[in-house]
Amino acid sequence: MTINKTALALSVGAALLAGSVQAQENKLYLFNWTEYMDPAIIEAFEEAHDVEVVQNYFNSLPEMLSKLQAGGVSQYDIIVPSNYYVPRLIETGLVQKLDKSKIPNFANVMEQFQDPAFDPGAEYTAPYQWGTTGVVYNTETFPDAPKSWSLLFDPEVNPDHPFALMGDGQVSLGGACAYLGHGYDCTDPEGWKEAARLLIDTKGRDNFSGFTDGTPALQQLARGVTHVGLSYNGDYLFFKDEDPESFATLDFMIPDEGAEMWVDSMMVTSEAPNPDMAHKFIDFILDAEVGAQLSNYNYYASPNAAAEPYLDEVLTQPPVQPSEADMERLRFTPSLEGESLQIFQQLWSEVQSR
Amino acid sequence: MRKRTLKRGLTGFWWFTLAFLYLPLAVVVLFSFNASNSAASFTGFSWRWYHQLMGNEQILSAFANSMVLAIVSSVIALGIGCLIGYGMYRHRHRKLGWLIVLIYLPIVLPDIVFGISEMAFFVQVHRLTGLFQPGLGTMIIAHVTFQIPFVALIVYSRFVGLDPTLFEAAKDLYATPAKRVIHFMLPTIKPALISAFFLSFTLSVDDFVISFFTAGPESATLPIYIWGAIKKGVSPEINAIATLMIGAVAIAAIISLMFSRRRQA
Amino acid sequence: MSYAGVTPSARSRAMVRESRHLLFTVAPGATWIVIFLVLPSAYLMGVAFMTNGPYGLPEMPLSLASFERLAGFGFLGWSPGNLYTLLRSLWQTLVSTGLVVLVAYPIAYYISTCREKWRPIMLLLVVVPSWTNQVIRTFGWMNLLAPGTPLSGLAEGLGLIPPNMGLYPSNFAVTLGLVYNFLPFMVLPLYAAFEKLDTAQVEAAQDLYASPVRAFWHAVFPQTLPGLLAGIVLVAIPAFGMYVIPELLGGGKGMMLGNLVANQFSGGANWPLGAAGAILMLIATFVGLFAMRRIGKRLGGGEEVVI
Repeated sequence: MTINKTALALSVGAALLAGSVQAQENKLYLFNWTEYMDPAIIEAFEEAHDVEVVQNYFNSLPEMLSKLQAGGVSQYDIIVPSNYYVPRLIETGLVQKLDKSKIPNFANVMEQFQDPAFDPGAEYTAPYQWGTTGVVYNTETFPDAPKSWSLLFDPEVNPDHPFALMGDGQVSLGGACAYLGHGYDCTDPEGWKEAARLLIDTKGRDNFSGFTDGTPALQQLARGVTHVGLSYNGDYLFFKDEDPESFATLDFMIPDEGAEMWVDSMMVTSEAPNPDMAHKFIDFILDAEVGAQLSNYNYYASPNAAAEPYLDEVLTQPPVQPSEADMERLRFTPSLEGESLQIFQQLWSEVQSR
Repeated sequence: MRKRTLKRGLTGFWWFTLAFLYLPLAVVVLFSFNASNSAASFTGFSWRWYHQLMGNEQILSAFANSMVLAIVSSVIALGIGCLIGYGMYRHRHRKLGWLIVLIYLPIVLPDIVFGISEMAFFVQVHRLTGLFQPGLGTMIIAHVTFQIPFVALIVYSRFVGLDPTLFEAAKDLYATPAKRVIHFMLPTIKPALISAFFLSFTLSVDDFVISFFTAGPESATLPIYIWGAIKKGVSPEINAIATLMIGAVAIAAIISLMFSRRRQA
Repeated sequence: MSYAGVTPSARSRAMVRESRHLLFTVAPGATWIVIFLVLPSAYLMGVAFMTNGPYGLPEMPLSLASFERLAGFGFLGWSPGNLYTLLRSLWQTLVSTGLVVLVAYPIAYYISTCREKWRPIMLLLVVVPSWTNQVIRTFGWMNLLAPGTPLSGLAEGLGLIPPNMGLYPSNFAVTLGLVYNFLPFMVLPLYAAFEKLDTAQVEAAQDLYASPVRAFWHAVFPQTLPGLLAGIVLVAIPAFGMYVIPELLGGGKGMMLGNLVANQFSGGANWPLGAAGAILMLIATFVGLFAMRRIGKRLGGGEEVVI
């Protein structure tokens, strides 16, 4: 009997090994940030194209990249990385060029997103949403909070309330750079070293609670585990709408020393099981009304010019659309390669291990 | 007199340790019924988080993955491990040092090294040949690898505990090796097989690190889902799934207790 | 032997049959472990000797750069980060193993002194929490030690931790998590040792030595040593490579070797460095096992340490 069972199990195992390749005909695998997609849009797309959309989520870009490298490149169709990971995805061959003839709605995209610095000519990317990363803090704890990174980095401004920094090292290091006056997007090794030292000192403070990714940081703030943290403008509004009570005392702020602005783009992986459907999906998202529906759901600014008439009012004012003064201080996180990437990795691993 | 103080002190220490062992689990269970999503204060009883669980397709599919993974890997490991266990017994007078080393390797290798080796290897082989796409298949392979030694050792020790003359008798009784296996060997080692299966199953359900590194996009198991949920920061729902898993363990504990009682009686 | 009196050719035929039998029973499992564990580990070790590519993946040519990086040498000269991580791992292993012994020893003794019908139930009570998933157990401690909980409030009131901060995340939380996780691994072998305790020897020692401490030291302790050593191996080795507990309870301050290794495989950091870390972990594991075996053998008693 055991022998029969074993044979059965072996054949099941073999079927599983082989089966993972087939049966993906009518599926589209989407690898996206958490809380970033309106389920209604997915339903509408599934109905329109008779396909099942399988969603997987990541909390940070390093996490996304490692999943792709560990075999995800042949298992996801669409990924939604931020600007500074685009060049390294292209260079490592993890993504493929878009066939614009299959994406007529690309014409809806605002001019500045049709030729972004991180992907000249938008050969690989179609913009999804854009937003900012800022400081979220408890207004009861800090009634006169300065509009500054000092809320995180100056022990005199926040001597004894728990706070968290961003799990993505480039954002935390950028913040430290900005606080030290080197600018959020600094890449010069001396500035970085000083910033890394600041991060190590900051980590050593009693009230440092950890490195937390953007979305979980908001949960911690809402539950009172931390009183200051880093997160994204749209997520802040999204969760505030879901839980107005806990978020009544939380505010979002862009430090005057400068902070991050980002663009998330849809990209098709180089070994995507279903690239045709992926293009259809991108086209679907870039539709004027769907684009507006997406922004209205997740509270992020739309890169879709045609979507503007359908946007809710909240999307036309801060923090979704930063004030002009803030806009001038916002920077893209630099995309790193070669030696500068290695130097960054070393500095960041040094920060983590202290 | 002094002895009694010692005994009393030990009894106190025993209850203290029990509290230490069960407090974290009790907190998880308690807060799974919390009406609010606060982690610090219990504001009232509610089934809210369980209702939320029921509608969550990801959790249901994670549960299904956990079960398929545990059952399939345990069955494969049982077959392969059984053969090794018997081979080790039958040829125990030979020098089999290399085999012992090989069998202990999966046990002593740190989880993280195990998991990362498999991941790096599967990725490389997949790049070259297209085989071993990360997913349930690769997870099953990895789980079988760490289950084989436990099955082999349990089966081996069962054979060692048998009276060697039994084998001679079986040889006289049954003409063919196949009959010997079916009518003598399997029934004799049945208890070992059952306990090996349950141990393999438990090891598989309990594993997180190795699964985490060998999983594919659609093969998240319950522990992987819970890990993701903790990292994401949504707490009360995790309490509810965790409570269900603790409940399953409690039932298993009670069953095993009843078995051990019966054996004594 | 049993083949005596049989013709040489029959004897060699029997040997061939035996060998074939050995091959048939052992080969499937051995092959499985070789293909799916030995080969992957060998590949990982190979990776350690490769160069770190621009995006963290291993590349040719071969080099020792990842070991230099592990030792702390990088673009920016020497830095102590990895050394901190290594020392923290050693320290956490040492402290948590020590604490586990301190708790498990009296517990195992106590169980062995209780009435026989209670013992299986007591052992079960100790073991059952470890049947739940490691992630869940650790999550339980996250709930218990978070800021604002009674335990954190107590610690704050006693001035043990700064105000508003919970007991978690911290290195203390990691130690606690490790002790919690590994306690049953120590209780079981120690209990086995206590159960076999030769009471005649103990009584003789009680007559011989005036103080109970000396009686314990000379008669009881040596008898439980094999169990203790087995427990230490079962606790210290997995504790040294722990990943889940420092990741969840350490909050960025409690990184251990397991996290250093895992981090190198995420986010395109540095596979060769991670592989070099894995080799270090393997060396530590085998040195630990070897030392335990040596000590176990020297102590003799005929009892081979488990593993």
